[in-house]
Amino acid sequence: MSVRLRDIWRAFQGIVPSTVVTADGQGVPNTTYVSQVYMVDDRHVALSCQFFNKTRRNVDENPLACAEVIDPVTLQAYRLRLKFLRSEKHGPLFDTMSLRINAIASHTGMTGVFRLIAADVFEVLSAETVTRFLTDAPREAPTEGVSLEGARTEMRGLQWVSERINRSADLESLLASVLESLEEYFNFSHTAVLLFDDTNRRLTTMASRGYGTSGIGAEVALGEGLIGTVARERRVLRLTSLDADLRYGRAIRREAAASGTLDTEIPLPGLPDAQSVLAIPLTVGERLIGVISAEDRDPMRFNEWHEAYLEIIANQIALGLDRMIERGEEAGEPGPATIAPRQATPAPEPCRASRRFTYYRHDDAIFLDDEYLIRNIPARILWKVLGESQRTGRTEFSNREMRVDTSLGLPPIKDNLESRLILLRHRLQEKCPDLRIVSIGRGRFALQTSASIELVER
Amino acid sequence: MSIVVGSVDAQGSPSCCRAIALSSNDDLRTVTVYLPVATSHDTIENLALTRRLAIAAMFPLDHSATQIKGLLEETRLAREDEAPFVRDRLEAFASVLDAAGVPKRLTRSLVHWPAFAVHIRVEQVFEQTPGPKAGTRLQ
Repeated sequence: MSVRLRDIWRAFQGIVPSTVVTADGQGVPNTTYVSQVYMVDDRHVALSCQFFNKTRRNVDENPLACAEVIDPVTLQAYRLRLKFLRSEKHGPLFDTMSLRINAIASHTGMTGVFRLIAADVFEVLSAETVTRFLTDAPREAPTEGVSLEGARTEMRGLQWVSERINRSADLESLLASVLESLEEYFNFSHTAVLLFDDTNRRLTTMASRGYGTSGIGAEVALGEGLIGTVARERRVLRLTSLDADLRYGRAIRREAAASGTLDTEIPLPGLPDAQSVLAIPLTVGERLIGVISAEDRDPMRFNEWHEAYLEIIANQIALGLDRMIERGEEAGEPGPATIAPRQATPAPEPCRASRRFTYYRHDDAIFLDDEYLIRNIPARILWKVLGESQRTGRTEFSNREMRVDTSLGLPPIKDNLESRLILLRHRLQEKCPDLRIVSIGRGRFALQTSASIELVER
Repeated sequence: MSIVVGSVDAQGSPSCCRAIALSSNDDLRTVTVYLPVATSHDTIENLALTRRLAIAAMFPLDHSATQIKGLLEETRLAREDEAPFVRDRLEAFASVLDAAGVPKRLTRSLVHWPAFAVHIRVEQVFEQTPGPKAGTRLQ
């Protein structure tokens, strides 16, 4: 029974490994497992060529092949008769397939070893259900077409998210409302936003939703792991079979381990048992703002529609973030700190505890009572205001004085000061609730403490 | 193990078929692979014409894999006394897939009986675990 490829899309998600049979010029068959048969369109599929293997050599001699793909939900098999057309070593198809492999390679410490050499494109001569493969006909899951109602909802969703972005008063509320929107509109329960810092070429988690601990402050280098790869390539990554992909990557790592030094595997941020990941770069033009990521325990949680639609929403988010960051930089200073319009802030509670902050100059990091608190620019900001407060008794500060203090190392443009203050505020909230940094109006903040502070520099 | 058999027709057009069980009593000099009658028509036809077979066996949890290539010696309908072995292999496969998140009831629904027992003389064995050593001849 013939089938359309689009109707069996689940079988192309790489959750159950597929098999491919080819034959050489003498008619000797070769059977191999492949991690994924990639559906290009209704008439074409592609196989990833990572090693110059027998399959690749065979199709040069005899272009005919047969593939079996399996629907992971029903376990129904489909047989595809194929004819090899060409190898693509660049272009959109290559880039899409390469991104997935690079991300898995980076995540399993296999960068440079496990990489796409070419996307081998095949014409699909026929696609058929393997009849009587299962004892019972599989129960069909509902197809994922976009209904008229769905289309209306998408438009409303876009308007709704955009409106929330526009209504946000500051960067912190913008980040929170974006993640809230994704949960309310798309039921994405485990999400995070990481912002890119050009000064250290790293991405820092600025907001998260649905995780036991916020993970705020967690960092990943550009190009490292799934998130870092998405950021470096500035391309959307949708993994619908994370577990299977990682097993495949680890198999190659195991085989390659004897042949050279491999990177350390980077632990996945977020859900330890995530089965699917959607990571979208946030860019304005060519400039990277950050990455928004969603995870789920359901391996089929994210589909192509989510990918396409969320790219549009991500553009809105990126523009909103960029605008908010610029607004933070342009915030006017009303003059001396004492005449700033002041928001009502709770009076500090009576001193209850003693807190020791130690700044390790060599590591550019602050430890609180011997536990790591924060590093780099946010650490220098905290050290500056704590020192100033201890020397002069001053507790109110302005963003401008941070910007003009060259010892803090803020870049002259796009300094992300507001996001660094958010990060600092959250880290203090989690690790040291006795010390707070509170906003007291645009471009101003105050230090509030209910503990006695000891400062040590090493 | 996940087992798939590849064959080719007289015109060089390949075909694949999922097998349920694989056995060898002589240290891989010969093997018998069990193919469901319901899904193996093309493969049995191809074998009658070309006699060539390539069997890929993979452990799904770590992707370790081996490929056996050989020549057909005999095709016959599997005997009733072989049914417990085939069922046992299917159950073992269900347990492995269960660990990877596929419910056992799904794997148990694979049609597996009656089966053809395809006996081949092994000519070559290859390492097929993905990686730089994939394709290395083992035997």
